[in-house]
Amino acid sequence: MSSIKIRTKRLDGNTQIRTLISHPMEHGRNKDKTTNKLIPAHYIQVLTVTHNGKTIATCNMGAGISKDPYFAFLLKGGEPGDEIIIDWVDNLGSKDSAKHTIT
Amino acid sequence: MKVNRRRFLITSVAFSTAGIALFKSSLANAEWNATDFAPGPFDATMKQLLNGKPIVETDKIDLNIPEIAENGALVPVTVSSSIKDIQNIAIVIEQNPVPLAIQAALMPELEPFLSARLKIANTSFVFALAETEKVFYSIKKKVKVTIGGCGG
Repeated sequence: MSSIKIRTKRLDGNTQIRTLISHPMEHGRNKDKTTNKLIPAHYIQVLTVTHNGKTIATCNMGAGISKDPYFAFLLKGGEPGDEIIIDWVDNLGSKDSAKHTIT
Repeated sequence: MKVNRRRFLITSVAFSTAGIALFKSSLANAEWNATDFAPGPFDATMKQLLNGKPIVETDKIDLNIPEIAENGALVPVTVSSSIKDIQNIAIVIEQNPVPLAIQAALMPELEPFLSARLKIANTSFVFALAETEKVFYSIKKKVKVTIGGCGG
């Protein structure tokens, strides 16, 4: 199952794009309570939002974003049938991508 | 002018570092830049982020964040603005070990609007910055944190 959930909603001629990603977002300073060792940093570095093949947002982030990050964007216009793709890449090189069609 | 070996070394090193700095800034919007997200003092992060552009305080940015956050690991924030031609929105938390939380490059297809959830370590000022071609606009709000965002 994809780690990304995307929801869109039409708001006064604009389209709100909301996304929820399941990711630990560890910043590398937390300790594992059982082993007492530092949990290695593991966080999303780049998130991109693509609308009908054009990148509309590139977000660079650090571990200052909460676990299981949530983001919302507001697209000007947007028609039913438009395609939204969201991708992320984390500091360990893992990545994921999800596609959504505006309804 | 006589250029001895030492002098030559010093100048060549200076030039190459300047070159790297220029190269980096041109890529700043496209690629994740490790130095932006390095742990460090707030001032250094701001300097790096502003990159020589002036900063103007404004009330045209709407920074919607709770004044008291019960749990610093999850603080919802929404930034929106009526300023035109915003290219970037950044959120910086003064007291966090890594002050820069997010830097979002928004294309003209998007409204200047960004919503996210932040980790805030301590009671701190949160800055929302909006970058246009010439200046950075900023607004700050104090957030009181009762449980820090850094504990496991």
